[in-house]
Amino acid sequence: MIETKRLKKVFKSADIETVALAGIDLKVEEADFVSVMGPSGCGKTTLLNLLGMIDVASSGSYRFKGEEVYSLTEKQITRLRKQNIGFVFQNFNLIEELSIWENIELPLIYQGVKKAERKRRVMEVIDRLEISHRKDLLPVQLSGGQQQRVAVARAIVTRPHLLLADEPTGNLDSMHGEEVMNILDELNKEGMTIVMVTHSHHDASYSRRIVHLFDGQIINENLNRV
Amino acid sequence: MWGSFFRMGFRVLMRQKNYFLLNLAGLTIGIVAFVFIYLYVENALYYDRSWKNYQHIYRVNETYSTGGKAEKMALTPYLLADTLKNNFPEILQSTRLFFTDPSDKNDVSSVNYRGKMYDIPNLTIGDARVFKIFNYRFTEGNPDSCLLHPNSMVLSTAMKQKIFGSNPALGKKLKTSMRQYTITGVFDNKNRPSHLEFDAVISITSLDKQEQKQLNTNWFWLNCYTYVEFADTVNVRKFTQRVNYFTDTAIGKFVQKQKIKINGYMHLAFQPIQDIHFSQGLLYDSHSNINVTYLYIFVIVALFILLMASINYVNFATARSLKRAREIGVRKVMGALRKQLMRQHISEALILTFTAFIISLSLVELMTPVFNALVNRHITLVHSLFSGSGLVFGFLLLLFMLLLALLSGSFPAFVLSSLQPVEVLGGRGVVFKTKKRYSFTAAGLRKFLVVIQYLVAIGVIISTLIIFAQIHYVKNRPLGFDKENVVVVNSPADTSFRGRVKGFVAALQADSAIEQVATASSLPGYLTGKILVSTGDSTDGHMQTLNSFFVGYHYFDLLKIPLLEGQYFSSVTENDSTEHFILNEAAVDFLHLKHPIGSYLYTPMAKKGKIIGVVKNFNFSSLHQQVEPLIFVLSPQYVQYVVVRINPAKRQEALAHLQATWNKSNKGYTMYYTFLDKKLDTLYSSDQKMLSLFFYFSLFVIFISALGLFGLSAFLIEQRSKEISIRKVLGGSEKQIVFTLVKEYVMLVLIAGLLISPVVYFFIEKWLNSFAYHIRLSIWYFVAGIVLVLFIAFFTVLLQALSMVRKRPVEALKYE
Repeated sequence: MIETKRLKKVFKSADIETVALAGIDLKVEEADFVSVMGPSGCGKTTLLNLLGMIDVASSGSYRFKGEEVYSLTEKQITRLRKQNIGFVFQNFNLIEELSIWENIELPLIYQGVKKAERKRRVMEVIDRLEISHRKDLLPVQLSGGQQQRVAVARAIVTRPHLLLADEPTGNLDSMHGEEVMNILDELNKEGMTIVMVTHSHHDASYSRRIVHLFDGQIINENLNRV
Repeated sequence: MWGSFFRMGFRVLMRQKNYFLLNLAGLTIGIVAFVFIYLYVENALYYDRSWKNYQHIYRVNETYSTGGKAEKMALTPYLLADTLKNNFPEILQSTRLFFTDPSDKNDVSSVNYRGKMYDIPNLTIGDARVFKIFNYRFTEGNPDSCLLHPNSMVLSTAMKQKIFGSNPALGKKLKTSMRQYTITGVFDNKNRPSHLEFDAVISITSLDKQEQKQLNTNWFWLNCYTYVEFADTVNVRKFTQRVNYFTDTAIGKFVQKQKIKINGYMHLAFQPIQDIHFSQGLLYDSHSNINVTYLYIFVIVALFILLMASINYVNFATARSLKRAREIGVRKVMGALRKQLMRQHISEALILTFTAFIISLSLVELMTPVFNALVNRHITLVHSLFSGSGLVFGFLLLLFMLLLALLSGSFPAFVLSSLQPVEVLGGRGVVFKTKKRYSFTAAGLRKFLVVIQYLVAIGVIISTLIIFAQIHYVKNRPLGFDKENVVVVNSPADTSFRGRVKGFVAALQADSAIEQVATASSLPGYLTGKILVSTGDSTDGHMQTLNSFFVGYHYFDLLKIPLLEGQYFSSVTENDSTEHFILNEAAVDFLHLKHPIGSYLYTPMAKKGKIIGVVKNFNFSSLHQQVEPLIFVLSPQYVQYVVVRINPAKRQEALAHLQATWNKSNKGYTMYYTFLDKKLDTLYSSDQKMLSLFFYFSLFVIFISALGLFGLSAFLIEQRSKEISIRKVLGGSEKQIVFTLVKEYVMLVLIAGLLISPVVYFFIEKWLNSFAYHIRLSIWYFVAGIVLVLFIAFFTVLLQALSMVRKRPVEALKYE
């Protein structure tokens, strides 16, 4: 599903160049669950952003489902992302002015899904993640764990093939963290590809594969639980 | 201690140059507009308040009624001033000034000094006591004696400067076509705003003895403004009754002596001199009078402009300070006390407001000449600020700026510095969390303030559009005659011209560039005279007043006024000695004439004349009024104007021929002429002035509100940068997200538009009703105004939204 070659990302400011990623070769197969680990500043989030097509690499190649992403136009990339990728963030990134329901519905609106269908699909994920009784509340009225469930619901409501999660349990206590990981595990078992950045070895233990990053490079990859 | 705060303040402001300049510009423009309007209003309120004892000075106005039709006018008979003074000891002083029509210039308006001609724009005749009541400061001569002797002339300092430069004028001689005047005084009218607008006064004793004698007996010859100064103790209301009783008796005697019958009355009223500037609806009143409603509107607009500028300023300042929440947190961690933080922010605000204050006053001073030209006033900032009320105003404005600085400076100090440092350093910035969806928030308050701004902007713009449409309408509405390509030449005051008229007219017609020539005493757009007529002879009929035009043979043909029945004057032969009249339709109705053609009308001296024609109604005065009854009297010898229709294709040639012919016929006299259509436009000069003021108000208001929205949306959109990024990550396209952002502001404008439209409708309809002929108030003016503002708001926000949306989402999503 994903194949990167010599993927590089350099941040430039005034006269300093910071190399965030120094040539990443990474392959992720369909229905895989990959954890990306490493110390702060090693480039984990940058890698996730590149995979999620919300940032562009300085050089290298990125093939998504066999298509070279960097040969596409901005519009085509947006479409590719919309149809295939869901995001879960450490700090949830829910829109505070929108209710839970509206937050989850938003990506469907952007995909142009008809209203009745939207309702059906939002209902489905809301039921699944057991947040239906809170659908009319605003994000600030929920606990962290509930907010992250909403974020997950919003990420999967479009039925993406790839779910990118950036420290999904980083802002949660261990009990709520466990809940979220169980959901991710379940999704993966149903066939969803997941790439997750994490600091936590416990969370990483849910994945099939762990990639260790250090100073922008992959220093080792090992299979987990297989 | 404060010194270091100011130093720091400067650095902060310099680092945020864009914010500083934006805020400075908004505030400065607001203050400039406010100060100008203040100056205008202050000047208007100061009119005729500079006279010594102005509280006791009154002008005598007159209501003149015949045949059930009353007319109020500012004019009174010549003999009134003396009559009052001689019969009522309560009157300490009285004086009179002759009525002059500044647009009616002739050879008397220009004077010759050492072979050079000088035009005196406003020349009048006054008695010896003028300057006892109107105590101008004299730079030369004695105010008490300057108008005693015949052929004396007193000049304004400006006029004196024009003619004599810095040389003394006293005793110098000025010549007009008919006389020679001696300069007996120079008065200074600078900074003395008054309804009096004369540049020179000639002594009343210069009038012909015979004429003075006639004037001194006639109660119906209304040609003077009469002013009186009362003793302190006079009850003016009671006094008015006594005076009217007295004058009724005097007029009764006069009427009896003249053997005429009038079904009417003449009523005198005393108007406080400081009210004259705002008086409306009097005939022959001062041209500089203004409608006090306009003044109220200006004051409201001024307050709104200042309010808008202040709202913007506080909005910017508080929005900005939220961004600095982190800085405040750091300072608090470092041990800053709230008092110190307050001082920090207030000194920044003080620097900004006072810079704005100083720049605005400098701009006002620089732009005063332009403003004076626009409003036709002589206003100086320095003089206004150092007069009594000006000082108060200056002080209040300064106080206001101080308050503004305190308010905007203390918001961050109070609100933000009361936050716990950990909240603001916690990474979320400051968000006013809402527990309920529609609760009142700081953001909600800002939106409310934006709506208020748009209320004003839309209101002013719609009004401007409608005023523009109405003025366009009155200037272009067919008036019932052909006003194009007509040149009106003022004939010389020199009566010998009457003998030369025929030759002059014939000489004019010799050139093919001239199509037709006629003579008249009045024209549409000019002052009309009044005469008394009755349908029966003077012994059994009642006299009624009609507007009258004394005209020559070819008047109607030239102006292309359509005939309804009968004949034009051109059919009358030159040796026919009977009086001939033509009426307009309104006069036929007014006099209840069933068969006007061939019937007779009588004038006071038992003269009678035959009606030979009826013309269609045409608008001979401004479209503020309906067409009034009008009588035309054939009088080829009474030539106030020579009316010339020229061939539009040969305009230059026609004017050259006109000038050459004039020079031959009237050697040494300046020719004063105007195009009839231009003259008619001047009927709406006060409306036009209002239009241009509204136009400038619109610019100010649009600019300030756009600036406000620009700054505010920049801030709000930046605050939402994270949300925008999330939306992008979730697959929102640029178009969709920009729409989300802009939608809100569009809604605000629409709400503002809906709220203000009924208010505008209410006021503007009143204004339109001051015209007898006006446009229909269509909904499209309102739609156009709202759409215009919508566009401005839309593009202002769009600019901001696009620049934000075009950023890569990852920039805003970076971890805090």
